[in-house]
Amino acid sequence: MKRDAQAPCMTGQTGMAHAVMNEIAAHLEKLAGRGEAASIDLRSLPMTDMDREQLEMVLGQGEVSAVIELAGLTEVRETAFSGVWWVRHMGQDEQVAYEEIAITRIPEILKTQLDDIDMASRRIQQVIESSGRNEFEKEASNG
Amino acid sequence: MADHQTLGEVLSSRGISRRVFLKYASYTASLMALPPAASTAIAQGLAKARRQSVIWLSFQECTGCTESITRAHSPSLEDLIFDFISLDYHHTLQSVSGHAAEQARKAAMEENAGNYIVVVDGSVPVKDNGIYSTIAGMTNLQMLEETTSNALAVISVGSCAAFGGIPYANPNPTGAVPISEIVTDKPVINIPGCPPIPEAMTGTISYFLSFGAVPELDHLGRPTAFFGETIHDRCYRRPFYERGMFAKSFDDQGARKGWCLYEVGCKGPVTYNACATLKWNAGVSFPIQSGHGCLGCSEPEFWDRGGFYKPISTGIGDATRLIGGAAVAGAAVGATSAAMMRHRKKKAMQEG
Amino acid sequence: MGLLDFARGPALQIALAVLVFGVIWRLVLLLLLPRLKDLTPARRGTRSAFMAGMREIVHRLWPDKTYARRTMFSLINGYIFHIGLALIVFGYAPHILFIEDLIGLSWPALPSNVINAIGVITVGSLFAALGRRIINPVQRIISTFDDYFSWLVTILPVLTGLIAVSHLGARYETLLAIHILCVEAFLIWLPFGKLMHAFLVFVTRGQTGAHLSHRGVQT
Repeated sequence: MKRDAQAPCMTGQTGMAHAVMNEIAAHLEKLAGRGEAASIDLRSLPMTDMDREQLEMVLGQGEVSAVIELAGLTEVRETAFSGVWWVRHMGQDEQVAYEEIAITRIPEILKTQLDDIDMASRRIQQVIESSGRNEFEKEASNG
Repeated sequence: MADHQTLGEVLSSRGISRRVFLKYASYTASLMALPPAASTAIAQGLAKARRQSVIWLSFQECTGCTESITRAHSPSLEDLIFDFISLDYHHTLQSVSGHAAEQARKAAMEENAGNYIVVVDGSVPVKDNGIYSTIAGMTNLQMLEETTSNALAVISVGSCAAFGGIPYANPNPTGAVPISEIVTDKPVINIPGCPPIPEAMTGTISYFLSFGAVPELDHLGRPTAFFGETIHDRCYRRPFYERGMFAKSFDDQGARKGWCLYEVGCKGPVTYNACATLKWNAGVSFPIQSGHGCLGCSEPEFWDRGGFYKPISTGIGDATRLIGGAAVAGAAVGATSAAMMRHRKKKAMQEG
Repeated sequence: MGLLDFARGPALQIALAVLVFGVIWRLVLLLLLPRLKDLTPARRGTRSAFMAGMREIVHRLWPDKTYARRTMFSLINGYIFHIGLALIVFGYAPHILFIEDLIGLSWPALPSNVINAIGVITVGSLFAALGRRIINPVQRIISTFDDYFSWLVTILPVLTGLIAVSHLGARYETLLAIHILCVEAFLIWLPFGKLMHAFLVFVTRGQTGAHLSHRGVQT
């Protein structure tokens, strides 16, 4: 039995890609002029798969590409337009949980959080102290 | 038991950086249709929050709601909710523990007095002193009243807890009532659905954790983030509805072309839920996309609305006997009046 | 029970019962009223009374040319909203489903956007009819509560139907409930006022035709 599970209006191009491009352009202008960052939540927009592909094609690939392994993968890449980043958060089974276009110098998720830096600073002191002691003990036992 | 460490400290002691809050917050903000900028506030709120003590009570239910939340689609991302909360009691998941589970419940209530959330699925029977559903010798009514006495808030998950659901359907033999009818002195959030969309449950709990407040609710106590629009408002088959292109039966030409399912009973226009946008099983599909009309499962009394396959423009119930009776009565009254007039005329003719 | 459940449930059953009771009561009473028997023979060469009656029903669909010009507005405007109402009630898919649920019959529907346009035209036509009734001095004098109320219960379903379909002003389930309740008001009032002409027009025109034909009048 032939079943057409996808209605035509679900898969065709709807022109959303063009609309999103306009929004990106407006945000990019503000970023260039006033340094104001912004973000477009792709998940909340009624985009079909073809719209998304079209947008990806137009935005292209830039110089930077990063992968964060955190509760599933997160892919962050700068598009061919500087300051326009594509952030894709995925769950364990590689399902896209959340996707956004971030217009910014650097997406928040790439930045290291201050609390983590505090913790790391304390930890590194501990590691240096413990490794230093070991060296002392080795020299002491040798010499 | 709930820790005294913040969530940030708990996760970092497991080698997970604060970045995870940003990722989770972006995801939650998007689910609840908050602007992307809100994700920063959510991330900060979560990092500073303590593990929230949650007591889950299951009453007259089918366990579909528990199944739904544990089936949350991207387990690693949604699993985080189980890191953020301390599920101190859930008698289905803890059933092997027997009495120890009940002790855990009492201990959690004492330790977190005034600070724990009670999540309830299933309705509560009140007929005959509530004898129709008991757990560990207590009626559901007793357990609910006891457990919510010191709770911070109550979340009624699923249409049974929110509106009475299946047990409430005609003739409601156990006297089932929604949780909101019993708990009147604490904030009650309703997250209906049969079952509810997992993200609706986890998103609401996350919101509560991040902001320490109840999200905006509609007149039925449902978070407007998930229940603010009808299925019809966001249905991808809407253009067919507007043009009057309907499937007349399952699997006819119209159905195969993906036309509107109004004529086979879709309740989309009067049902408020996020199925058309969030969908089910990681955004795979929802009933209409799979070719079946919306059942209206997040609305009160959806079992007694005339039938899943009767369109919303039809009547509910069978009026044949009533109309038949009205016809007979009309004829009788008419004939009697006419007979009286004929009699009067005959008398007048005779006298005149 | 919500408003929509009430409108689709008990309210509908009561409205249909009152409609059926009222219509049958009035028709039975009317047809069984004592009549003066006409003992004269019919004019030679005329049709049977029944055929004359049937003919008159059809013939009076259009006025005699003596009166045509003076009644042209009521005639044309009247046809516009009568045909409009018929097309909406019997041509819109959800309505056909409603009727099919009641009596088991159904037929193909008209495109929904066409029905929408017809709805707007019908509302305009009904307002024109009201305007005429108020402005024309003779009609204004002779109009009664029945005239105005019958107009109101007729236009409300069309207006509320258009509002419901446009999702304007309130939650859809409320708009739909209000529309259904307005239809029920129409059904309940129908047997007891001038709306009963829906059934009586056939009786009266038929009777006139039979009566005049008996006397050999050329109508």
